[in-house]
Amino acid sequence: MFRVELLQDKSAATPGWSYAPTRGFDPTQAMAPTLGRKRNIRDAGKGGDISSRQANAIARHISELDRENQRDVSIPVPVKQAKEAGARGTRAKTTSAVRRILQSQKTFRNHLDDEEAAIALGTGTVAANIPNPAKAHRVAAARRSSTPASTAGRKRSAAVATGVSTPAETDAETDVDEEERKPKLIKSEYDNDPLLKSYAPLMPSDRLMQRLLAEPPLSYNASRVKPPSSARPGRHFCCMCGYWGKIRCKSCHLRTCSLDCYKVHEDSRCGAFF
Amino acid sequence: MISDQPSLTASQLYHQAIMGTSRSRAPPKAPATPTQHAETSRHLPKNTFIIDNGAYMMKAGYASTLPPSEAVSACSQIPNTLVKTRDNKIVVGAQLSTVTDWNEAMFRRPVEKGYIVNWEAEREIWDQSFFEENAAGNQSSRIANPEDTTLILTEAPNAMPILQRHTDEMVMEEWGFGGYTRCLGPTLNAWNEIHSLFGDPLTKTQDALPADCLLVVDSGYSHTTVTPVYKGQALQRGIRRLDLGGKHLTNYLKEIVSMRQYNMVDEAYIMNEVKEAVCYVSNDFGGDLEKTWKANRKRQAAEDGIVLDYVLPDPNANKKGFIRPHDPLMHAKKKKGAVSGLSAEVLSEDVLVLGNERFTVPELLFTPGDIGMNSTGIPDMILQGLSALPPGLHSAFLANVLVVGGNALIPGFMQRLETELRQIASAECVVRVRRAEDPVHSAWLGGSRLASNQEELSKVAITRQEYQEYGSGWAGRRFAGIV
Repeated sequence: MFRVELLQDKSAATPGWSYAPTRGFDPTQAMAPTLGRKRNIRDAGKGGDISSRQANAIARHISELDRENQRDVSIPVPVKQAKEAGARGTRAKTTSAVRRILQSQKTFRNHLDDEEAAIALGTGTVAANIPNPAKAHRVAAARRSSTPASTAGRKRSAAVATGVSTPAETDAETDVDEEERKPKLIKSEYDNDPLLKSYAPLMPSDRLMQRLLAEPPLSYNASRVKPPSSARPGRHFCCMCGYWGKIRCKSCHLRTCSLDCYKVHEDSRCGAFF
Repeated sequence: MISDQPSLTASQLYHQAIMGTSRSRAPPKAPATPTQHAETSRHLPKNTFIIDNGAYMMKAGYASTLPPSEAVSACSQIPNTLVKTRDNKIVVGAQLSTVTDWNEAMFRRPVEKGYIVNWEAEREIWDQSFFEENAAGNQSSRIANPEDTTLILTEAPNAMPILQRHTDEMVMEEWGFGGYTRCLGPTLNAWNEIHSLFGDPLTKTQDALPADCLLVVDSGYSHTTVTPVYKGQALQRGIRRLDLGGKHLTNYLKEIVSMRQYNMVDEAYIMNEVKEAVCYVSNDFGGDLEKTWKANRKRQAAEDGIVLDYVLPDPNANKKGFIRPHDPLMHAKKKKGAVSGLSAEVLSEDVLVLGNERFTVPELLFTPGDIGMNSTGIPDMILQGLSALPPGLHSAFLANVLVVGGNALIPGFMQRLETELRQIASAECVVRVRRAEDPVHSAWLGGSRLASNQEELSKVAITRQEYQEYGSGWAGRRFAGIV
C-alpha cells in the first residue's frame, strides 16, 4: 500500500517571484489558443508556459498594435459646400454601383469573414491552400504518362474556368529542352570532371514559368507567413525596463529583470493574474 | 502543345453570357475573344497618371520620360488620411501641411491593412488632391480630364476580389478614366533600372523592360510583403506577408514610452516622428541590450552611448522635436530648478530618454516572437516564399533582393537583413540585398518607366470603352490575367 501525504508547500515561504526556467517555449501555441473544454489537460502535457489566457493577452496586444487611434473616434467626411458640389456637376451622375460602394460601412474584418466563408463553401475564387509541389509533380507525371498533350491542355483550361490553382511542377519536360537551356560556357578539358560538376538546379522551362505566372493569387489568410520551423526558444524581456526578463512574478507571470524592477512592478502594475 | 479546343469553348460560353446580359450592345464578332476584338480598335490616352496608393502616403503624379532623379519631382506625396486635430477641425489629405499642432491628432485612414476599404473617405481625399480646381496639393498632380488620362493604380498583393471590384468600379464609374490598369505595387519596382544597383553590366536595350528575376521586399505602413517578380509579373504562389509594418512599430514604441515615461497614447503622430528620428535595427542585439541596461549605463561616456534624449515638440512655443545626446545629470539639475543655472527654456521642455527602445522596436520585424506573435521574421519569410517555387529559381531570386518601403530607411535594416539571409540561405547561392535608391518612390518611378513603354502598358491596361462594354467583372479577370 502507498501512503499519501500532503507535502509542505514550499512556495508559500518564498517572495512573490521566482526564477523562470527556460523551458521549451513553443511559439506555435502563442497565436493559436487551444479552445474547448479539454485545453487544460492538453496544455499540461505540452509543458509550454503559455496558457490560453496568456495567448489571449498576446492576441489582444497585437490587435492593439494594429489600431490607428488609441480611442475609437468617428471622423466624418467634411460636408461639401453647395458651391463646391456644383463643381462636381461636370462629372457624370453616380451609378448605382458607386452609390452602393460609398454607402458600404463594411470594415476589412467583415470582408475577410465573407471571403473565408466563401472559401469554406468552396465558391471562393482564390486557392485557399498552397499546393504541395512534390505531390503535384507526381500527379503531373502520372498524367503525362497516359496522354501527354491533350490532357495537360484540358486540365489547364479547366483550371482557368474554375479558378482553381493548377499545381504546375513538371520535370519531365526538362529532358526535352535541357540542352538548350544549359548556360553557354567556354569548352575546356575539365568539363567532364566529376569533381567540378555543378549540381545547381536548372532554370525551369518557359512553359512552366508561364503556368506559374498564370496561377491565381492565394487568399489573404493563406499568404500570411507561417510560424518558424525551428522551435527556437522565445525571448522574454523585463516588462518594466526592457532588459532580459530573468525572474517571473508569481501572481501575474510577467517577467522582470531584477528585484528593483520587480518592486516597481509589484507596487504599480501587478494587478492582473493569469 | 496545348490544344485550343477547350479554351475556345470557354470563350464561346463567355460570349453567350455577355450577349445574354446585354443584348442592346453590339456584340463582338462571334469567334473573337473580347481582348482580340479590342486590340484592333483600342486607344489608350497618352497621358499617364500613376497613383501608388499607400496606406500612409499616396505617391501620385504624371509619368515622365526623364531620368529617375528628375522624374521624381513630378511625384507628390499626399498623406492618405483624414485628421481631426485637437480643436476638432477636420483636415483632408494634402492640407495636412497646414497643421502645426499635432498633439492628440486623430486619424481616419481609408486604406486598411494595405487595401482600400472605405471609399467614402478615399473619394474625398482623391477629390481634394487630384480633381478639384483649387486642389491643395501640387498643381502638377491635378487630373483635369480623367477621360484623357490613363491611370496606373497600385494595390497590395493578395487583395480580396470584392475590394478589387470596388476599386475598379469607383475608378471607372465615378471618375471615368480613359484608360486604367490596376497592378501589384511590388511588381512595378521591376521596371526600374536596377542593374546598376546590383552592379550588373548594363543592358544595351533602349526600351524600358522589367528585370528578369527580382525579389521585392516591401516593408510599408500596414504590413511587410515578399513578392517574387518574374519579368514584371508576380509569381503568386511565392508571395508572403508579415502583418507587421510601420504602424505597429510606432504603436509599440508609443506603448513602451507610455508605460516607462510620459503618457503618449494619443500622440501617434509625434511618436512616429520620434521613431523616425531615433530607431535603428541592431546588428548586435544582446550587446546593445547590455550597453543600455541601467546598471551599465552610468559607466559609459555620454557621446558613444546608445541612449538619446528626444525633446518633445512644443506647439505653443512653435518648436519642433529634436534629438540630442543623453545627459544623465539633466534630471538632477532640473530638480534644483533655477539654482542650477539652466535657462527657462530648458526647464520647460519635456524630454523622452530613449535607451533600448531605440532598437527593440524595429527588432519586431526580424523576431516577431518578441511580442509573442506566431510568425517568422523577414529573412525567414523570404525563404518561405521561395520554398513554394521551383528550386531552379532560388539562386536567381536570392541574388536579386530589392528592399522598398519606408521601413527600409531605418538605419541598420539592410545590413541585418543581408547578414541573416546569408546565414539561412543555401551556401551555393549568392545573396545580394539592395535598397532601392529611393525606397519610398520606387514603385511610382517603376510605373513611370512602364508608362514610357506604351506597347507593354496597352497589354495590361483597359480602355473606357472596353469597361463600358464588358463591365467590372471582365475588368477584374483582365487584371488577374485570366482573360
